[in-house]
Amino acid sequence: MGVIALLSAVLMLVIREPMRVALALITTMVMLGGIYGLLGVHFIAAFQVLIYVGAVMVFMVYVIMLLEVREAPGHARYSRWLVPGVMACATLIAVLGISVYRSSAEVLTAPGGAPFSLTQFSTLFLSEYWLEFELTSVFLVAVIVAALAVIKVSRRAHG
Amino acid sequence: MPHTLALIALLPLVGFLVNGFFATALGRHRTNERTAGLIGSAFPLAAFALTIKAFFDLQAGGFAPIVEPLYRWALIGTSSFEIAFYFDRLSAIMTLVVTGVGSVIHIYSTGYMHNDKSFGRFFAYLNLFLFFMLLLVLGRSMLVLFVGWEGVGLASYLLIGFWFDDLANAKAGRKAFITNRIGDAGFLLGMFLLYRAFGTLDMDTINSAFVSGTGAALLVPASLVGLLLFVGATGKSAQIPLYVWLPDAMAGPTPVSALIHAATMVTAGVYLTARMSGIYMMAPEASQVIAVVGVLTAFFAATVALVQTDIKKVLAYSTVSQLGFMFLALGVGAYGVAIFHVVTHAFFKACLFLGAGSVIHALGGEQDIRKMGGLRHKIPLTFWTFAIATAAIAGIPGLAGFFSKDEILWYAFASAKGGAPWLWGVAALTALMTAFYMFRLLWLTFMGASRMSHEVEHHVHESPLSMTGVLMLLALLSAGGGYIAIPHFLEPQIPLPPIVESLEHYEHTLLYVSIVLAFAGLGLAVFMFGGPASRPEGIKQAMRPIHRLLSGKYFVDELYERVIVKPLAWFSDVVLLRGGDKMLLDGSLHGLASLAQRTASVVSRVQTGSLHVYALLVMVGIVGALLWSWRHV
Amino acid sequence: MDKVQLLLLLSGALFSLGLLGVIVRRNALVMLMCLELMLNGVNLSLVTFSQQRGDAAGAVLVFLVFVVATAEIALAIPIVLLLVRFKRSMDIDRYSDLKG
Repeated sequence: MGVIALLSAVLMLVIREPMRVALALITTMVMLGGIYGLLGVHFIAAFQVLIYVGAVMVFMVYVIMLLEVREAPGHARYSRWLVPGVMACATLIAVLGISVYRSSAEVLTAPGGAPFSLTQFSTLFLSEYWLEFELTSVFLVAVIVAALAVIKVSRRAHG
Repeated sequence: MPHTLALIALLPLVGFLVNGFFATALGRHRTNERTAGLIGSAFPLAAFALTIKAFFDLQAGGFAPIVEPLYRWALIGTSSFEIAFYFDRLSAIMTLVVTGVGSVIHIYSTGYMHNDKSFGRFFAYLNLFLFFMLLLVLGRSMLVLFVGWEGVGLASYLLIGFWFDDLANAKAGRKAFITNRIGDAGFLLGMFLLYRAFGTLDMDTINSAFVSGTGAALLVPASLVGLLLFVGATGKSAQIPLYVWLPDAMAGPTPVSALIHAATMVTAGVYLTARMSGIYMMAPEASQVIAVVGVLTAFFAATVALVQTDIKKVLAYSTVSQLGFMFLALGVGAYGVAIFHVVTHAFFKACLFLGAGSVIHALGGEQDIRKMGGLRHKIPLTFWTFAIATAAIAGIPGLAGFFSKDEILWYAFASAKGGAPWLWGVAALTALMTAFYMFRLLWLTFMGASRMSHEVEHHVHESPLSMTGVLMLLALLSAGGGYIAIPHFLEPQIPLPPIVESLEHYEHTLLYVSIVLAFAGLGLAVFMFGGPASRPEGIKQAMRPIHRLLSGKYFVDELYERVIVKPLAWFSDVVLLRGGDKMLLDGSLHGLASLAQRTASVVSRVQTGSLHVYALLVMVGIVGALLWSWRHV
Repeated sequence: MDKVQLLLLLSGALFSLGLLGVIVRRNALVMLMCLELMLNGVNLSLVTFSQQRGDAAGAVLVFLVFVVATAEIALAIPIVLLLVRFKRSMDIDRYSDLKG
């Protein structure tokens, strides 16, 4: 599953039309959801598919359809910085790979506990991490306000 | 009464403040002329009365010096600077002269400055001057003296340029102040040396240390200090080379010339030297220099006075010359005699200047003696007082000048501390010239036929009582002042120098020579100027080049202008202004600013506005960070 | 190689590819999607570590990342919409008003 995820990611970089890029991204996400499931954290997998694919990507697809972008035939696909970007990316992957490879064995083979359950997760949220919980609510309110502001700007610009 | 001395000094200051605030343009001329004049004269008179009282206190105490500390001015580290006043025989004499002559000149000014638009300002400045002069003579430490020294320089500047609407007057004031300051540099250096050695600037302490030849006195090169202090004196007391400001100072009102440039301020240098006699007694080289400079100044100034045509300029050069005499006396160790001459000179020179002022007043402003004459019967009071003062300065026996000048000549000849026949010779010649030019002045101004223009002649009138009364008083003092035996009064404090034994018997001979010289001068003047105008004209034509040289005051001012002033101005402009200020300072500031600007414009190119670039930089940054974290792997 | 290491490598690769996409692609919407890819990569590594250690705190963080991603999309897309309306183009290279 990891392979497919990786492949889709690369595809994302290559495909021209945004719609198809979106499809590739959806593929990647679903694959990741699968991986989470295989790891045993089922509820996170559920979240992944529900939130990411279900909400985010749907919104994305909707916008793409709305804007109906059509690129001119000779339109360049990539920006000027292709070569340096690829080089940097390769370097980054290399560095990360080497770090992972070199990383000490202890971290990797620490005695892992049993895969935790949803109950554990939720109680943790409400006990230790309740602050973050509340903050997310606040955060979301802020986001709503911002969105309203954007609407107002767009209305003023339009009319 | 405690604080007498402080009061003596402070009363004129109060007068300055009162007049300054109410009687000037600052105070919108609240008081009228009479009040301003009254206040202006009352404070000096009060100071004079207090001085007399202080004198009696001194006498009662057996002439032991009265020390009156006032307060501590500054405490810097371990050195403390006190303001204290000191009253001994020398200060007593000086203070009496300053307050006494000062007061009468104030009274004179009420008449002379009548209807002047800045009447109040004049009296304010005059009181200010008195305040500083009193600080000078009453101060215990050289620091207080120096404050007074600078202060009288300031007052002199203010008063010379009193009628500053005329630019020439303002320039004269500036010249006086700057020339003074040059001398002050030497003064300051001398003070520094003394302070370094003694840790204090109290003059009595320093003097006694030198006289007894103990302690720190041995560390100080007495001649060097003596010379440095003398440099200061040349500035203030108009000796060669710094005398050039005094003739120009005649631009100020005549009472100013009388008070400041005849009777008191210019004698400050003499006072300083007499006060620090302890140093000079230990410094024969410096004393010799003083004597030589003094006699040369006297000689040269007298030669210039021979041909001057402005009544005040004659008197100005005469003052320089007489100051030279005083320094001659100081140089040969006869300090008490120099002070004696200060006193008699104050009397007759003030009388002469005020008389000249009376003449100018009578003639409605005319100062050129070629346009005078025949005033004898028109303004008799002025004439007689002027004549008495002239006789005094010429050394006619019996009058004040005779006694003091003769003593100076005697000591110049016979003092064991530097007297020499050639000094006497030059001085005697100068005395002859003094008599001559003074009587010349008298004759050309008052005698003979009138050379005045018609309207001027019509308006000639005697001056008011405020002026003539003072003249009469001063004439009296010029006549009788010589009988106050000041050198002997001062002797317990400042000893007279010993006389070379082999020369002792010359005393009477020289006395007769002095008398002869005085009358010879009189006779010559009468001969030249009492007769037809062709006699002096003939001599003038015959000695044309010399006459030009003397009229041009030896062109010393022009020389200074060429050699000193122009190069300095050039240097200031080109090097300091353009080079230093504009190039260096402005340039560096602009350079810094443009450097910042250029750097900013270069650096701001990083913000390309392109998201791609930013993201690329992020990636590069991450790689870098990761690589960095490998250091410790 | 270990399962964990593989997963971590995958996560890193996803992140880098996403960043590369931001650098390389010109379409604004595609850029946004690459951003999402980056976030996913991070999520993967978080989940991996969390599961390996049995610590649910990692899962909490994953949840928070979800929330943030959602919010971000909710705002980014309208902004892109406005931008497109003003610039009449979806080309990032045209959006260089903040230059200098």
